[in-house]
Amino acid sequence: MSTHDSWSRRATGDPMMRSRFSFAAAFLLLAATAHAGDAPGAKRRVQPADFGKVVMNNYASKAKMSPVVFQHWLHRAKYTCRVCHVDIGFAMTTGETNVRAADNAKGMYCGACHNDRAKTDDGHTIFAACTLPLTPGRSGCGRCHSVGSETELAYEFSAFTKRLPRGRFGNGIDWELAESTQRIRPVDYVEGVSFRRSSLKAQKDFALSSKLEGMPDIIFSHAKHTVWSGCEGCHPQIFVGVKKGTTKYNMVDIFQGKSCGVCHVNVAFPMTDCQRCHSKPVQ
Amino acid sequence: MRVAARVLSCWMFVTVAGSVASQSGAPAPGPLAWAAPSWKDELEQVCSKTDDAMSLTSDELRSLVSRCDELKPPIAKLEESERKVYSRRLQLCRDLYAFVLESRGQR
Repeated sequence: MSTHDSWSRRATGDPMMRSRFSFAAAFLLLAATAHAGDAPGAKRRVQPADFGKVVMNNYASKAKMSPVVFQHWLHRAKYTCRVCHVDIGFAMTTGETNVRAADNAKGMYCGACHNDRAKTDDGHTIFAACTLPLTPGRSGCGRCHSVGSETELAYEFSAFTKRLPRGRFGNGIDWELAESTQRIRPVDYVEGVSFRRSSLKAQKDFALSSKLEGMPDIIFSHAKHTVWSGCEGCHPQIFVGVKKGTTKYNMVDIFQGKSCGVCHVNVAFPMTDCQRCHSKPVQ
Repeated sequence: MRVAARVLSCWMFVTVAGSVASQSGAPAPGPLAWAAPSWKDELEQVCSKTDDAMSLTSDELRSLVSRCDELKPPIAKLEESERKVYSRRLQLCRDLYAFVLESRGQR
């Protein structure tokens, strides 16, 4: 018997060898998968509860406090994007707003609602943020300055979203369907903060051609976006092009957080859900 | 007679109010000053029309842009927290009106 024959008999004929080989292959595959996120450049998929999480740290670390954790999923279920990003004045990019404790204490930014007086739609009084004098600890500052600590939340993600329609990515919630079926009713006006506006007449939907042959064109819905953002939320700070077709979009820029990616990378349904936008049937 | 009495009472009211204001060091308000909105009221009036921007005429849009520019000085004098918030709000609505105006090929 040749060496080759004995080897192939050992590899294929011996049950013990087969099982050892299978076990080793499975172990290696498992190890590779577990450590895939640790590889340079690799991105772990964000957990649904953490999608849209923003860490605010312009000044917290300098003041020897934990940075602030802000959860978009809770706030977007209760308020439109416009309330925070137009009426209250939060920037669309992390770190750009430069919120200070003093701003909140004076009723600006977070303090516009987090003042121990305003109430949510379900009757909860919204706790005060950054009241003076500052009271470090879990019942005070630690409620928001919570990076690295376990904080008891008034609204827990899975319980809060239990009855909401499921989506494929991001928070795992179809927020658009949740709003259109009135399972959430985001508030678009906050007394003392927002301006009274007449009802918005949304512009028409339009199609954007895809550059990739065979890729469905994008149907952009103004109506759906103006429900959340109004006009000034997008124009011109995100979309500066005036004439249709003059601004060239590409997926590289969008994935890097430009144009559509300002919202659709971190908060609105993510770019991995291609069919949500590329929805026009290919002719 | 009644009309005359009303006119007289209004005149007396304005005169007394003016003298009180003068004694307090404030300039006597003219008739228009009583009706002049604060910068906040003006900001609300100007920026509450953003949802109608597409249906406004070009002249209306130019007027709104101009009113936004006139609001910049009083907002610039606010303390830091308010200044940050209101200057951004003003900028958002001013930029939108300018954007719509530009989209019509006019500035």
